[in-house]
Amino acid sequence: MSVWRALILVLLVFAAPLLARPASAHQATLGVLEFREMRPGMYIGRWTTLPKDGDNRIELRMPAHCFLRLPELNCGDKGLVGQMTIANLGEDMSAAIIRITSIQDDTSSYTISAANPVVTIIGTGAPTLETWLELAKTYVNLGMDHILLGADHLLFVLGLIWIVQGGWRLFKTITAFTIGHSASLAATAFGWIGVPEGPLNACIALSIVFVGVEIVRQQRGEIGLTARYPWAVAFSFGLVHGIGFASALAGLGLERRILPAALLFFNVGVEIGQILFVMLVLALISAHRRLGAVMPRWSAELPAYAIGSVSMFWFLGRLARVLAAA
Amino acid sequence: MNPRLRTALLTALLLFAQSKIADAHIVSARLGDFYAGALHPLLTLQDVIMWAALGLLAGSLGAASGRWLILVFPLGLCSGLALATLSNLPAVSPLIDAVTILVLGLLLATALRIPMTLLCIMAFALGVMRGAVNAGELMPQTDRLLYAAGLASAGYVVITLIMALALSFRRPEAAPVSSWRGIAVRAVGGWVAAIGLMMAGLSLAS
Repeated sequence: MSVWRALILVLLVFAAPLLARPASAHQATLGVLEFREMRPGMYIGRWTTLPKDGDNRIELRMPAHCFLRLPELNCGDKGLVGQMTIANLGEDMSAAIIRITSIQDDTSSYTISAANPVVTIIGTGAPTLETWLELAKTYVNLGMDHILLGADHLLFVLGLIWIVQGGWRLFKTITAFTIGHSASLAATAFGWIGVPEGPLNACIALSIVFVGVEIVRQQRGEIGLTARYPWAVAFSFGLVHGIGFASALAGLGLERRILPAALLFFNVGVEIGQILFVMLVLALISAHRRLGAVMPRWSAELPAYAIGSVSMFWFLGRLARVLAAA
Repeated sequence: MNPRLRTALLTALLLFAQSKIADAHIVSARLGDFYAGALHPLLTLQDVIMWAALGLLAGSLGAASGRWLILVFPLGLCSGLALATLSNLPAVSPLIDAVTILVLGLLLATALRIPMTLLCIMAFALGVMRGAVNAGELMPQTDRLLYAAGLASAGYVVITLIMALALSFRRPEAAPVSSWRGIAVRAVGGWVAAIGLMMAGLSLAS
């Protein structure tokens, strides 16, 4: 075994326990909260099964247009639609069942747990235009948030731009990445495929390491796989990143009947964020050229090493977590 | 092992060893603080006017002078932020903001040829001042490093893009002095100076 391999192993062994979060104790309590619609948009709610420590400390968040003062819940003309959250599950109870009975006596039940603290309620009747608009607003924003806060996804896209350098090829490459991640996002959200989150995140980091290596190869005059078939690489890794995007939807307790629409709006949000990022990077490249602010030859490989080092750092961190959890 | 690969791996391992928690996803690493640092100045009128005026001024002086600001201005922002975090600097008075805007506007309007060194000193000083002002938004729970990275990134993006835009408005050497592009930039300078004057009047009156 080389010195380097030994060093990695030693570091992983020491780092793994540090990175593992302590397992918090769970309380085996369950609360059941019922809302009954008395007149359109007006509900009366009560805990039919009270949590162990009472209901005072429970942080129940209703959709923004609703006003809750138990036992009364007033949602106005819109009705009880939107996201409902219990933010502090685990302190007083491990899960809650929310049962909503409409004025027509249709009952829907939702389970909120510490893993899925949010449920999206679409109402018992046929969705109205307002409901769709509300859904679009929520999930487009969520998609944009997810891509703009996901530095790993952005770093991968940056690497692709660096290699392909703009033009028609860049358009094809980014489109291939989009098709790839949309396909796997849909497949994961519908439950057709499933990959454990830990190893998946490590793979996503590794995909950025790959792009970093490809940039260095290109700068040395070698024609790597990404330079030759950028769309194929973008599509393949897009499949991996798409499963990662799905993790953002996994914790929202989506109703099956709104899943396709939520997925579509979420993906639209991801695309908007991605297009904004690509346009910003292209504008900056063009500005640098106009200003003649190009990196000196000796430092040309620096960005590639920065991308590679940061992503390798993520990879090792994520791998350590996987090993610590095993 | 390839020496370059070894270097990259060693850097990653060093980062790894230095970190408290290697958070996989940025959401859990509170990247919100990065965007807070980036967006705060863009939602502040004084910052928007001063940054835009500085970018226009540097761009109108040519690429050779302007390109240094790509480094100098974000560095100034970070220095100001660090200075304000480490020592309790007094708050910048609205009159100083107004006078700064007025001076930047006048420099643009008069199309004064500013030497590169002086331009860099001005940009650094403005960066320090605005960095210190933006430190006012730091909460105890804010990740200072992410906030500083966001602020510096916003400074870099705004200055670079505006300088490049101003360059495309720059009068070619062969063009007459009355070229519309030069006049357009000077007219913007006049508006900036007017805004500064109004703000100075308001702050003196209140």
